[in-house]
Amino acid sequence: MEEYYLICEDSLEGIFTGIYDAYLKKKPHGQIHLSLGEDENYRLFAAYESCQPDEQKAARVAATIIREFGKETYLAICRALASEKPDKGEAVYKTVVTGLSMKDKRDIMGNLANPYIHRVFELARFTANEAHYHVEFLRFKELENKILYASMGPKNNVITFIVPHFADRLPLENFVIHDEVRNIFALHPARRDWYLVSGEEKDWRTEHTFSEGEKMYSELFSSFFHTIAIKERNNYGLQRNMLPIRYRRYMTEFQENSSI
Amino acid sequence: MEKDLMIHGKENMPLMEKLKILADAAKYDVSCSSSGVGRRGDGTGIGNTLSAGICHSFGADGRCISLLKILFTNECIYDCKYCINRKSNDVPRATFTPDEICELTIQFYRRNYIEGLFLSSGIVYSPTYTMELIYEAVHKLRTLYRFQGYIHVKAIPGADPQLIQRLGLLADRMSVNLELPTAEGLKRLAPNKHRKNILSPMRQIQQGITQNKNEIVVYKHAPSFVPAGQSTQMIVGATQESDYQVMMVAENLYKKFELKRVYYSAFVNVNQDRELPALPGGPPLLREHRLYQADWLLRFYGFEAGELLSEQKPNFNVLLDPKADWALRHLELFPVEINRADYRMILRVPGIGVKSAQRIVRARRNGNLNFEDLKRIGVTLKRALYFITCNGKMMYPTKMDEDYITRNLIDRKEKLPFDRDGMTYKQLSLFDDSEECLWKNII
Repeated sequence: MEEYYLICEDSLEGIFTGIYDAYLKKKPHGQIHLSLGEDENYRLFAAYESCQPDEQKAARVAATIIREFGKETYLAICRALASEKPDKGEAVYKTVVTGLSMKDKRDIMGNLANPYIHRVFELARFTANEAHYHVEFLRFKELENKILYASMGPKNNVITFIVPHFADRLPLENFVIHDEVRNIFALHPARRDWYLVSGEEKDWRTEHTFSEGEKMYSELFSSFFHTIAIKERNNYGLQRNMLPIRYRRYMTEFQENSSI
Repeated sequence: MEKDLMIHGKENMPLMEKLKILADAAKYDVSCSSSGVGRRGDGTGIGNTLSAGICHSFGADGRCISLLKILFTNECIYDCKYCINRKSNDVPRATFTPDEICELTIQFYRRNYIEGLFLSSGIVYSPTYTMELIYEAVHKLRTLYRFQGYIHVKAIPGADPQLIQRLGLLADRMSVNLELPTAEGLKRLAPNKHRKNILSPMRQIQQGITQNKNEIVVYKHAPSFVPAGQSTQMIVGATQESDYQVMMVAENLYKKFELKRVYYSAFVNVNQDRELPALPGGPPLLREHRLYQADWLLRFYGFEAGELLSEQKPNFNVLLDPKADWALRHLELFPVEINRADYRMILRVPGIGVKSAQRIVRARRNGNLNFEDLKRIGVTLKRALYFITCNGKMMYPTKMDEDYITRNLIDRKEKLPFDRDGMTYKQLSLFDDSEECLWKNII
């Protein structure tokens, strides 16, 4: 029995195109697998093909997912595809296959006994959790020109899930959120829509100095942060559970006034 | 005129010092949640709210920091024995101006440090005078600064009801502290406060909320009154009440006053007053933890206080959480068949939370579930396995014997409810998912 491996680009478009091409093969889905990028350990007796991302193919797959499974599931799949895990393409592909054969397609994400659907559920939850952590822990610093600037280092590609929250909350502010890992910037000009810029080499922190108020308010908040804890109840384990250490290097209250 | 001089006489104090004094004085208030109301920004100001609330940091005590929690002033004419700000204490005193409060809130909020403002106060001159100060600050923040984030204010017992009504139209949540579970305790420790005065603003806010809901049905754009509901807190361990009494009070507050939350605060002895118990082992944190666990059982698991405790058994088991304790006393109801039992019974199985129970009911529509599936769904099998069957079989052959199961539930190291420093919050943090952190697992 021959196995097929479709190698897709690591993006929503790339993986949706892969799913489209997998259906084009008209072979049993058990024999077809999606994988990402190049560093795959090649297997004997398997055919490898690479798919070129194709906007139209991807759009048709997206439309099918929304039509058959609903928006909520589509969003879960988008979250799963923002994950850093390499098995996400395969999990989403097989989830779509399983879902289309279910009686109640709208309830696809409830079918957690299926390992692929469960995996998509799990990946989507990783991303949603990490996005939520950033909604909680992201810290803006005010630059000289009143622009608010925040940087972060997320494991999953969460930036598109968090910017709408801040755009709704701070409509009159100019703000920038920088994903240091992927070098993506989200820019929000006051009173206008936000957009993404990627691959820009500019380093905002060296080019701009912080405003006068920045030093004062970051010190005020750090002081508030230390004052508000009740020392009779100290519990660093609980603090670490709730606020994982990897987020702290970006957070004002854990910085030793070094960057200012 | 003279009043103004006294209140605003200390404006020269640096802001940093004021913030330290007035945050330190506010820290014993438990409530920090920013939940209960979802409101998008309207594009003309700053801020929105999420109904699940957002925590922005966690202090060294592991408590969530969501709101800028401060007192307007820590001057106070009352002399409550448990309170650090009582008038007979010689502590540094400070008072904010409304503008300072507004600036701090806005500047912290823009930087994503906080979700909003929690404003309480010591009593200056009279409850009504104090409420007026709070009103002035909140009004300024909402109108001049166009702040649309979360605001939680204290309603001060004894203040003019009209003022409470007006403040309720600006705030998202209001709370009146019950202070102590019983009227006798209150009389002894807080001689200036009376139970009746505490309950009447609580009743007023409850009625205001109900009336407002009806108005909104008729007039869609009627201003909303305390949309995130009201909460209260009581100190546990300063007086002699049993857990049973505390839970009965809490149940009454939920049922008769429709409170959103009741907070329990393990008594911290800050004043060393002779009327108060010395606590050589530190604050009664484990007891507080058990009360919160039981509180969750009341609100999300369909339990009644009378099922968990009774006059004969007035206190919670130290070694077992209240749900496991209940299950062990009702072994005749178990084991429960996962593929057939109704949702409410599944909720009562130790090791299965609200989310797992919902997932089970949803997933079993697509076929029978086995133990492997349950594990994936998120059931804590090492607790649940004594109480459930899948397709008629238990996971391992198990005696339905109280002592045997008890030993197995508490024998494991990680199951002990406390670790070296007295307790672990594992369970509480998990439960916390249900409100503040619900957002994370909505998919």
